[in-house]
Amino acid sequence: MASSLSPECTPLKTQYDACFNSWFEGYLEPAVAASSTKNRQEYSKRKAEEEYKACVQKAVKDSGLESTLQQARDEHPLKSPPPPDPSSLEQGKKH
Amino acid sequence: MKFFSQSFLYDDNWPIVSLAYFLRYPNPYASHVLSCDVISREQTPTGTLLTTRLILKRGNLPRWFPKQFVSRAESWLVEESEVDPYGKIVKCRTRNLDNVKVMRVEELVEFRQTEESKTLQHTEVRITSGFGWGLTKRIETYGITKFKQNIQRSREGVHLILGLIRQSRLQPMAIGHGPFPGLPHHTPTSDCSKEAHKESQAASLSASTTGAWSRVRNWFYPQRS
Repeated sequence: MASSLSPECTPLKTQYDACFNSWFEGYLEPAVAASSTKNRQEYSKRKAEEEYKACVQKAVKDSGLESTLQQARDEHPLKSPPPPDPSSLEQGKKH
Repeated sequence: MKFFSQSFLYDDNWPIVSLAYFLRYPNPYASHVLSCDVISREQTPTGTLLTTRLILKRGNLPRWFPKQFVSRAESWLVEESEVDPYGKIVKCRTRNLDNVKVMRVEELVEFRQTEESKTLQHTEVRITSGFGWGLTKRIETYGITKFKQNIQRSREGVHLILGLIRQSRLQPMAIGHGPFPGLPHHTPTSDCSKEAHKESQAASLSASTTGAWSRVRNWFYPQRS
């Protein structure tokens, strides 16, 4: 998987990605995934996630990106997308 | 503001295309991606997965661009995604965080399952420059042209990952470690257990260098190994 922004977080990210990927593959097919293995994975994913998250949060803080990132995230883009250009949208629907 | 949109139909079904899309970094067609981190990830009460990722990409400035305005040709991007496995929809929006006055790029990508169990990808991009100095239009046109060139490459990257996932599902145990950590399909989760954590943390780097995916990567980027 791609590296973390901070080299010291990369091993934790590798670990977290491994846990997340196996969970995510089942998550994408809810009808197929067996719930018992899903729960176990959920637990271990959380453990790996906590450690990785703590590392990245510190790295983001150190990089000075925190406020820019927070500002961007506060816009809640997926809930209120900018009004698209109607003519181009029609074009999109036609492929 | 310049706008561009394009749709593309994958023959594969939605779960596998969506998986490939989220596993797409790194791939040989995305060597400009320097890092990718999950900043937050949560599931809503309805089961939708919301993820914010912070990505660092290397860009290149056009030769005619006055270099003193941009300190380095690297850019931080924020990618916000929404995965709904029941409605079979992925929505993903990416924006740059720095140099937004020079060029603000906002990309929206959607994956939906079609009635024939194929996957329709729809991509939209808006490029806005507030640079002025008579360069605004030129910058926006440059951005759109670059985007059109890159969309093909990024699709080739997703296709490559799709191929690797298919391959890992065909021979789940044969290689030990599949091309992606955590995959192949529904294998025991010893990789994730707490007991194995310390050990695998130390071993994860060496194990990943022998995985099929790393072999592919090393083949493309021998200098990185």
